[in-house]
Amino acid sequence: MTSTVDTARSAGTPPPAARPGVRRRARRSLSDLATPYLMLGPAVLVMLALLCWPAVQVLFISFRKLDLGELVRGEVKWVGFDNYKNVLTDPDFWVISLRTAVFTVVLVASTLLIGLGIAVLMRHLAGWVRVVLQVCLVLAWATPIVATTTIFQWMFDQNYGILNKTLVKLGFDSYQGYSWFSTGTSTLTVIGILIVWQAVPFIAFTLYAGLIGTPKDLYEAAAIDGANGWSAFRAVSWPSVRPLLMLTTFLSVLWDFRAFTQVWAIRQGGPDGKSTTLPVLLYLKGIAGSHFGVSAAVAVLMLVILVAVTWRYVRLLVRSPETEL
Amino acid sequence: MRVWSKALIGGVAVALTVAGCAGSGSSSSSSGTTTAPPAGPRTITVWLMNGSAPTTLTDELNKEFQDSHKDVTVKYEIQQWNGIQDKLTTALASNNPPDVIEIGNTQAPKFASDGVLEDVTANVNDFNGANWLASLKASGQWDGKQYAVPFYAANREILYRKDLFEQAGITAPPTSRQEWLDAIGKLKAKFGSDPNFQALYLPGQNWYTLLSFIYDEGGDIAKQDGKKFTGSLETPEVKAALDFYKQLVDVSGTKAPKDADEQTPEQAGIFGQGKVAMMVALPWEVATAAKSDPTIKDKTSGFPIPSKTAGQTAPVFQGGSDLAIPGNSKNKDLAREYLKLITSDKYQAQFAKAGMIPGTSKDVSALQADPVNAAMAKASPNGKSTPATPGWATIEAGQNPIKDMLTAYLTGAKTFEQATKDADDALNKAFSS
Amino acid sequence: MLRKSRAQRVVLTVFGLLVAAVFVFPVYWMFTTALKTPAQILSPDYDLIPLSATLKNFTNAITKPDFGTFLTNSLVVTLGAVACALLAGMLAAVPLARLRFRGRKGFILLVLVAQMAPLEALFVPMYLIMRDADLLNSLLGLGLVYVAFTLPFTVWTLRGFVKGIPVELEEAGMVDGCGRWGVFRRITFPLLGPGLVATSVFSFITAWNEFLYALVFMREKDKQTLPVWLSSFKTAFGTDWGGIMAASVIYAIPALIFFLLVQRKLVSGATAGAVKG
Repeated sequence: MTSTVDTARSAGTPPPAARPGVRRRARRSLSDLATPYLMLGPAVLVMLALLCWPAVQVLFISFRKLDLGELVRGEVKWVGFDNYKNVLTDPDFWVISLRTAVFTVVLVASTLLIGLGIAVLMRHLAGWVRVVLQVCLVLAWATPIVATTTIFQWMFDQNYGILNKTLVKLGFDSYQGYSWFSTGTSTLTVIGILIVWQAVPFIAFTLYAGLIGTPKDLYEAAAIDGANGWSAFRAVSWPSVRPLLMLTTFLSVLWDFRAFTQVWAIRQGGPDGKSTTLPVLLYLKGIAGSHFGVSAAVAVLMLVILVAVTWRYVRLLVRSPETEL
Repeated sequence: MRVWSKALIGGVAVALTVAGCAGSGSSSSSSGTTTAPPAGPRTITVWLMNGSAPTTLTDELNKEFQDSHKDVTVKYEIQQWNGIQDKLTTALASNNPPDVIEIGNTQAPKFASDGVLEDVTANVNDFNGANWLASLKASGQWDGKQYAVPFYAANREILYRKDLFEQAGITAPPTSRQEWLDAIGKLKAKFGSDPNFQALYLPGQNWYTLLSFIYDEGGDIAKQDGKKFTGSLETPEVKAALDFYKQLVDVSGTKAPKDADEQTPEQAGIFGQGKVAMMVALPWEVATAAKSDPTIKDKTSGFPIPSKTAGQTAPVFQGGSDLAIPGNSKNKDLAREYLKLITSDKYQAQFAKAGMIPGTSKDVSALQADPVNAAMAKASPNGKSTPATPGWATIEAGQNPIKDMLTAYLTGAKTFEQATKDADDALNKAFSS
Repeated sequence: MLRKSRAQRVVLTVFGLLVAAVFVFPVYWMFTTALKTPAQILSPDYDLIPLSATLKNFTNAITKPDFGTFLTNSLVVTLGAVACALLAGMLAAVPLARLRFRGRKGFILLVLVAQMAPLEALFVPMYLIMRDADLLNSLLGLGLVYVAFTLPFTVWTLRGFVKGIPVELEEAGMVDGCGRWGVFRRITFPLLGPGLVATSVFSFITAWNEFLYALVFMREKDKQTLPVWLSSFKTAFGTDWGGIMAASVIYAIPALIFFLLVQRKLVSGATAGAVKG
């Protein structure tokens, strides 16, 4: 990893020129000192009250027995590490964690590869084709998940789905009545396609913005130097999309790891629980089973996994000279 | 870093005071003691589900209740099934929960066992207790006490096309499993040349139908021992039931998906296409089918699921709803009176007229007028519910091992032994959690 | 752009259109399904192009009771949340990108980690907080929740954009005597355009689609939002396919309009950046 980790310069403002010496340290008045805190105030307040405080409560709840009865009566029953013991001694938890990890990795990798591919493609397309492509991407992105899960179930339907009907028409007779949801892997693949399909537009737009931020003369210079497509990409585009790629990887990991709506809506984690991921487990234990303490323990473990996985990157962001001034 | 963590802790402390004692629970008024009803105008909140009681019934009911209770307003709110578990959970924990709620009979044991519903054991007689439907009564009981009151129920029957039966030379609806299979044979002989024809539409995960077969064989999905339930699928009875289900699927050549239930795609819609002679369904699915083809209504009739004993009807799974009073309700006195009114013969009769089996009345004569409803009513005395254990709610919320077992067995992905063992394990896990 | 041969351009165009088709197909299929009668939807054959279209699903969906109320509520909550998230986000992004102060790293860490909490787990404590703050069943309460969900992303993204604006531009403004506010209004804010667009689209889609919190927090019917309305097409007895597809199309329209309104800014802002570079 390098130290050029400026992030989210999303829509194409060019990388700032290096300004090594611009560190003014003028005398500051009291109001100058207070300014940053006042400006951060609203954001800090909302995030503390509505994200951090609930999260802290989840941590507390994970050490309590909190079923429907306790919740309704407002009882507080501390049970120490019982909920964690309950979760961690269940062999299913480890299988589900592993499955979630693999699922996330595959999803993030495919989303980024396809997104980067489309971003590069957009750069090379003629104007009207690019607009057509962009509108199509937006349509996919902006369609509500409730709707897209329904339409995917419909397209992959065993008998009435357009996919099987088309495959049969093309001569693949074995797809007559083929069930896409009979195994966990196949179910997760369909869910994965759904998630990737809706996640790619955001990634593609962000990376495209980074790409067009690259000054054109750099490409021309590269062309003069005899660089062909691939080496021009590596020499010119890569440095400008790299930080964006790292940021989008980070965000994709967070989003895909926590993907719940699509996984639940397609098959509720079935068949035989073989497409259950950690968020589904959390829901099954919590709302479905009314064991909110156990569910909170799962949530805390999920957070621990996420922080562990992304820790290097987060530390880099917090410490790197780029996030310094 | 250290400075920061101090700041964060400080911030959390502030948020703590702002949020007050969040998480420490609801108001202290949840003790359940009945205090004197407050004077002045009052409001009673009633939550019924989408598609349950007909509007004509509720309009009249709410009007009568308001007329007989001066200064009381009925706030009647229809809830959607989608996400109801989340909504009920939080509403019960709120400061002003609804006063009367409708809960599915398969959900009821969980709410009853968690002690969040008002004990109505003492009021059973006020609520027409002598006439309660057995399966619903059982679903509202926990530990010998009654927490929920039967509302209405329905059970599946076989809807069939009279015209197609006639053309195939079937004179009377089947009354035994053999006659049922024979009818399928005759229909196929007559219409089999049409590739889109299906003598019977039976998706692989119509587990309600399987339950009926299992009950008919004398089995059940779980054994009860006190409060403890254990899955009982690894039995010869279940084997016989599964085999008959498979036989139906094979013989009928149904094109229904093996990996989905009767809702995806909606079977009534397919019945409405006119190429299906029979389906296992609820009476009102005729109306859904008629949306595709209005003439289908007059061509359709129904007969009860035949038993393996000729001449009898098979026992059926009874789905339905209970009514209950949340333990935190502030208007329990009014809620009891509301329940008294809604469980009276007058309103229960309207359920029968609307094509449902009333929960607190034995009078099903209104169902006889329509042959489709009559077929349901005929099987209804032999109705059963799912195991009355709180663990069933987890299964109901999504992952149903019996559906997975059906698909695995029908597609040959698992042997009988393996499929039932996996399902039993999953059931036991749900029961014990 | 690099010089390309005619053949290369044709190949690229075809490939681009193919990718576009793949991405738009599910949406297209949703739209055509919405135009079909129940009988056509379940017919064994299918038409890629709906030859006999019916608008009945659409009229049924719009004439469902209270559609107008749900739509208004959704718009109020979503637009309110987007505006607040942008405002608070921008306020926080500027000092984060430009000023040195104690607790800065802590705040960055807070923003990064705050995005990791699983929202399905937060909703019980969140419900209790809202209950005790008396914000249940209020559009304000739900809006605040959505602000919290989108704020970390907004702050972080805008921070990047502010950093992308050369300090020299702002300093020049100061020299010209614009004053701090004037610099922000005339220089920083316009240059933030693309960033504001990107984050507002993200916030809009997040808030517009959210179902669980909307369902649970908004008990009264006159306060509910469109996702809850959409779910009413699925009943315990089956799904009205044509209806739900038509409703989904209607539901997606405001999100699309919002995007198209702001999207021009995104493209023009981006090209402006490219030219300037």
